[in-house]
Amino acid sequence: MSLFSEIFVWWHGQTMGTRFYTWRKGKLMGTDDQGNKYYQASDGASIGGYVRRWAIYNGDAEASRVPPEWHGWLHHTVDVTPDESGYRVKPWEKPHRANLTGTPLAYRPSGSILAEGVRPAATGDYEAWKPE
Amino acid sequence: MPKLVVDGVEVEVEPGTTLIQACEAAGSEIPRFCYHERLSIAGNCRMCLVEVEKSPKPVASCAMPAGEGMVVHTNSPLVKRAREGVMEFLLINHPLDCPICDQGGECDLQDQSMAYGVDGSRFHENKRAVEEKYMGPLVKTVMTRCIHCTRCIRFTTEVAGISELGAIGRGEDMEITTYLEKALSSELSANVVDLCPVGALTFRPTAFSARPWEYKKTESIDVMDAVGSNIRVDSRGAEVMRILPRTNDDVNEEWISDKTRFVVDGLKTQRLDTPYVRENGKLRAATWDEAFAAIAAKVKAAKPERMAAIAGDLACAESMKALKDLFDKLGSANIDCRQDGAKIGGKGRAAYLFNSTIAGIESADALLIVGSDPRKEAPVLNARILKRWNQGHFRVGLVGEKRDLTYPYDYLGAGASTLGDLVAGKHDFLEVLKGAKNPMIIVGQGALTQKNGAAILAAALKIAELANAVREDWNGFNVLHTAASRVAGLDLGFLPGEGGRDVEAILEGASKGDVDFVYLLGADEIDTARLGSAFVVYQGSHGDMGAHRADVILPGAAYTEKNGTYVNTEGRVQFGRRAIFPMGEAREDWTIIRALSAVLGQTLPYDSLNALRDAMAAALPHFDAVDMIVPAHDLPSVSDADLAALGDDTSPFAVPVKDFYLTNPVARASRVMALCSAEFGAAPAQAAE
Repeated sequence: MSLFSEIFVWWHGQTMGTRFYTWRKGKLMGTDDQGNKYYQASDGASIGGYVRRWAIYNGDAEASRVPPEWHGWLHHTVDVTPDESGYRVKPWEKPHRANLTGTPLAYRPSGSILAEGVRPAATGDYEAWKPE
Repeated sequence: MPKLVVDGVEVEVEPGTTLIQACEAAGSEIPRFCYHERLSIAGNCRMCLVEVEKSPKPVASCAMPAGEGMVVHTNSPLVKRAREGVMEFLLINHPLDCPICDQGGECDLQDQSMAYGVDGSRFHENKRAVEEKYMGPLVKTVMTRCIHCTRCIRFTTEVAGISELGAIGRGEDMEITTYLEKALSSELSANVVDLCPVGALTFRPTAFSARPWEYKKTESIDVMDAVGSNIRVDSRGAEVMRILPRTNDDVNEEWISDKTRFVVDGLKTQRLDTPYVRENGKLRAATWDEAFAAIAAKVKAAKPERMAAIAGDLACAESMKALKDLFDKLGSANIDCRQDGAKIGGKGRAAYLFNSTIAGIESADALLIVGSDPRKEAPVLNARILKRWNQGHFRVGLVGEKRDLTYPYDYLGAGASTLGDLVAGKHDFLEVLKGAKNPMIIVGQGALTQKNGAAILAAALKIAELANAVREDWNGFNVLHTAASRVAGLDLGFLPGEGGRDVEAILEGASKGDVDFVYLLGADEIDTARLGSAFVVYQGSHGDMGAHRADVILPGAAYTEKNGTYVNTEGRVQFGRRAIFPMGEAREDWTIIRALSAVLGQTLPYDSLNALRDAMAAALPHFDAVDMIVPAHDLPSVSDADLAALGDDTSPFAVPVKDFYLTNPVARASRVMALCSAEFGAAPAQAAE
């Protein structure tokens, strides 16, 4: 994320304020496969009794990109980071699939007028006769 | 005449009336499951219990004759308690699956449990479960729901005339079954679903598709056969969902045939929904203006005597009237509504009507059927004959092909020679007819479509004369038609005029190149290969034989999509009403002909349906007598010259309905009908014994 886009299209990633706070108070706890960085407040600043933790995304800020092992740490489910606990990805865990909302590949329920393929039968349908 | 008091109301009823009918007459409604007016009395559901004073116990009112001086209470605490007890017993083994039951919303048990059901169950044992039974492609069974009212058994035995349903086991273990897991072989089989007071028997083709309260209900007339059964068309949105019978004691009582009921899916397939014009040998979708322009170009070029029109079996009277008037204006006499080639019409109205009326069958005491298979041609009418036969002292004779008619008959012979013997008095069945008080003769299309059909009609008239069947108080001469449009067409004179061609001559002329322009009003049952190089206009609702051959296709409305007048085989004028709108660009048929007449410069003088109906009634007063019979007394007299052509042919008469389930374009488009046709097949001739 270049400084230039951080100023003008800040909503794609961290803001200048977050960058400043992270520089002052952030203690880097680890990095996941996608390059997202995970921080914890170095001065132990807490919200509601929990020490403050946050992620800086490597690319678009998109919450579904946090892998399950880091999700647990980020939400205070566990106190040790996956690096410390020696987390191994299980063979049955599927790789992350990007959130396709807003793209042409987004999921459409059957019956949606945007869905591709065959429309389900509806009241009033009829088969017209076609010559040969 | 016994007089009794029901809930303080004094009524006088006919002797032999049951208590339940007496209560109805007094205005007290009695709940019931097994009792049905048109079936024999079973008395096994016990729901109709009433209290009769001086009687030690509540009595089942359906099985108790009304007696002189009875004092009946139908809503006393004792009666309520008794009915609650019965309801509790019925519900012991009835599953609680109303939310997934197709009967939900029109279920007698559901309705009556609202009045007599108790709020909780005292039954802690397991409920009974019953295996499903196979009853063919039309009737779906969920036998666990059955409450053993036996209405279905009584219907199939007494009305449909097939003994294929029965009960095995007793008490809780009783099961309704076909014994052999075979399809019900009756043309009236689906009426058992209407009779079923619970959801044990439901419609298989329309299973799980809609709820009864979603329907718009339109009262209409059936066109699958010439009986003109009264039906209710249930539609949801732009789709006809189902067809149910409507009670009319004079026509169909409350039964309809399976074809009438399940043809609905044919209304959604093979539909003509836009005009087509043939260009370079290929049909292409066109606008109405292009289609009319193509017709106008041909009509202007053709001479009137080289133009012809044929009306099909499902046409309404309005469209035939409009087309006849158009051809009159164009100066062509080549019109015909008898696409099967029957030699009938033009000799007086009584000579082509079912004069005894359908209800009149019940007062007949001998019947001669000539060249007809009423079971296939008019199943509801056949049920009426069976009803009369069940009352006893009724002999039936048949001339024609041997068929299973559900009641026994004297087989007299196959063809015209037997008829000649009857006329000559050489056959003893003539004595049976002569000895009968109200003898009846039914002439079918199988006989009238023969080459010597006119002579056969004359012979039948002669037999009626010999048997004294035509009197002031009784007219026993009947013609049974197979097409819903036929009587209206004959009434309107949709027949070849002076020097005009009939269907056979039109086809002959077209194949030889003597006829250049043929207008088919829904006519599909003709041999389209014989139309030769003529310019063919097809107006209709379904893409069938006619549409494949046509040079211009005008999309019309099916019978559920237009307000149309139909005249049944008795000559009863009835109105069919529009349930949904025609598909796509299709229009009501008479409006198409009216619009075409303007393009041809021969504008017809009516702009609304009422104006057209007024024009019909002005020419034919009986079109004003809707739902009524206007008796015809103009039977022609028969001379020996008419009988000369009878001949001594011993080959059997033709069979007009070869496959009951596939007789018209709508039925041929229906998947359910195709399934039935595969299951039951074309009716085989009864094996010689």
